Amino acid sequence: MTVAILEAVNIVKRYGKFIAVNGITLSVMPHTVHSVIGPNGAGKTTLFHALTGAVPINEGSITVDGVVVSHLPGYKRVLKGLTRSFQVTSLFPNLSVHENLRLAAQGRNPVQALHLWRSAESLTAAGETVDILLKRLNLSAVATRAAGELSHGQQRRLEVGMAMAGQPKVILLDEPTSGMGIEDIGDMKRLIHDLREEHTVVLIEHNMDIVMDISDTVTVMQLGQVLVEGKPDEIRNDERVRRAYLGSMTDGDSA
Amino acid sequence: MNLLTHYRYTLLAIATVLLLPVMLSSGSLATEVLIFALASLGCNLLLGYTGLMSFGQGIFLGLGSYTAGLSLLHMRVPLLVALLAAMVVGAVAAAAVGWLSIRRRGIYFALLTLALGQMFYFLAYTLKDITGGDNGLLNIPRPQLSVFNTTLLPTATQWQYYGFVALVFVVAFTLIQRVADSVLGRTLLAIRDNETRAAAIGYNVKLFKLIAFTISGAITGLAGALYAILIGVAPLSSIEYQASESILIMTVIGGTGNLFASVLGAGLYVLAGDWLSTLWPRWLMLLGILLIVVSLYMQKGLWGLGAQLIDRLKPRRAPRDPSAVKRKQNP
Repeated sequence: MTVAILEAVNIVKRYGKFIAVNGITLSVMPHTVHSVIGPNGAGKTTLFHALTGAVPINEGSITVDGVVVSHLPGYKRVLKGLTRSFQVTSLFPNLSVHENLRLAAQGRNPVQALHLWRSAESLTAAGETVDILLKRLNLSAVATRAAGELSHGQQRRLEVGMAMAGQPKVILLDEPTSGMGIEDIGDMKRLIHDLREEHTVVLIEHNMDIVMDISDTVTVMQLGQVLVEGKPDEIRNDERVRRAYLGSMTDGDSA
Repeated sequence: MNLLTHYRYTLLAIATVLLLPVMLSSGSLATEVLIFALASLGCNLLLGYTGLMSFGQGIFLGLGSYTAGLSLLHMRVPLLVALLAAMVVGAVAAAAVGWLSIRRRGIYFALLTLALGQMFYFLAYTLKDITGGDNGLLNIPRPQLSVFNTTLLPTATQWQYYGFVALVFVVAFTLIQRVADSVLGRTLLAIRDNETRAAAIGYNVKLFKLIAFTISGAITGLAGALYAILIGVAPLSSIEYQASESILIMTVIGGTGNLFASVLGAGLYVLAGDWLSTLWPRWLMLLGILLIVVSLYMQKGLWGLGAQLIDRLKPRRAPRDPSAVKRKQNP
């Protein structure tokens, strides 16, 4: 039996009296795509914030590949192998695509970035990562353009690329297809599916076609708790999941 | 050619240093331009490269003045030692001010620097025995640049001192430009663009901001020291809010992001001030109007305006196709 690469036990996140995440336990197996779905307001994004250290947790523990990261600040969790993409695109809009990815790749060795004498180009390790990623994301043609000038689909790909550049063990993707056109969604689906070769993916996604097609495990959240967890087929046919979604989920793209 | 483009800003700085004596008859005025250019460079590193609008730059300018003055008056240290001491004090003070202020972002950050600026001002005002209070620290000597009793550079006359400051300025500018172009400078630019993302890819944003503050404090302290040695006084006005404000205005008018822009901003501020104040004592009102124009219509400052003009003049070789021009006007 393999050991979970990301282990979250009994995570609780309270905002005042409101409990956004209420005792979630999540075991993500290495080299899988583990999706987290649920109606709007179920606490999915808060769970992501808690896992990546963007918000401190009130209770519980988080382990990445055997290392406890429960109370580490977000930037330190990147070094432990945990990176993320954002639901609302969060790039360096005034910097070039290449520079965006270079910064993200350099983030794996942030001490080097404190060097106030060496040029960024002399640090070749980050540069090589960037070249590979540009090809893989199909962004080579726009490498020198400012990230803010890209089309929405390109920006979403770059958003995922920013998380990949840190060469993480676990990559958390928060609705990577949000706002994307049909043709772009296919590319993104393939990209995410391929990510599990080198990484492990935790995915929040509203597009049920993608979730059901590429997930190895699906966790359904409702009101800050785990409703059901299982393989896509089991989830598809689960009566509780259907009831949770009826009425509460109004997204047109949910099957 | 490659070398020329690589060092183009340093060459511009050298050109400035050579041009000022040709343009101006007063050596002390020319020196003041370079000194405030340095102070503005320090501010630009924070505002243009890191996105931090500090209203506390006067703290470091003032402390630099006092440090140089005190060490020269009471300890008779060599010139370079006095400058170095001012840089260290400026850097340490900036690290402390930064450490406290970067806990908050945006408006609250600005307010914290403002409050600390006022604190340091009243501290300097109160400690009359050390700082001379309202009168400032008087009779600061101006030693020559010498090593083992051999004079390398005399500083007695205004233009001799200008020569020394020019040398310091060019060296400092080159170093700051190098830092701005380094992997550190590039990371600072990223933090300016999007702090949340910078943290999410592994950077300790506070540490980087603190480093930017420390460097800025050292440069501003150096400027303060050079200023005190220029006028022979470490005035209370160096640490006043007005000093912070002037430095910030120079930086914004010059343009943020490009370091040489700060030299333009400081030049305009100091020279316009000198010229207009003889014509009209309320000349600062005109500066206010200029600041409004910059804020509304040319946020990239004088540097941005210049770059735009050069851009307009450049594409002469392009075929004069009226439709192309039209397309450019209505994208």
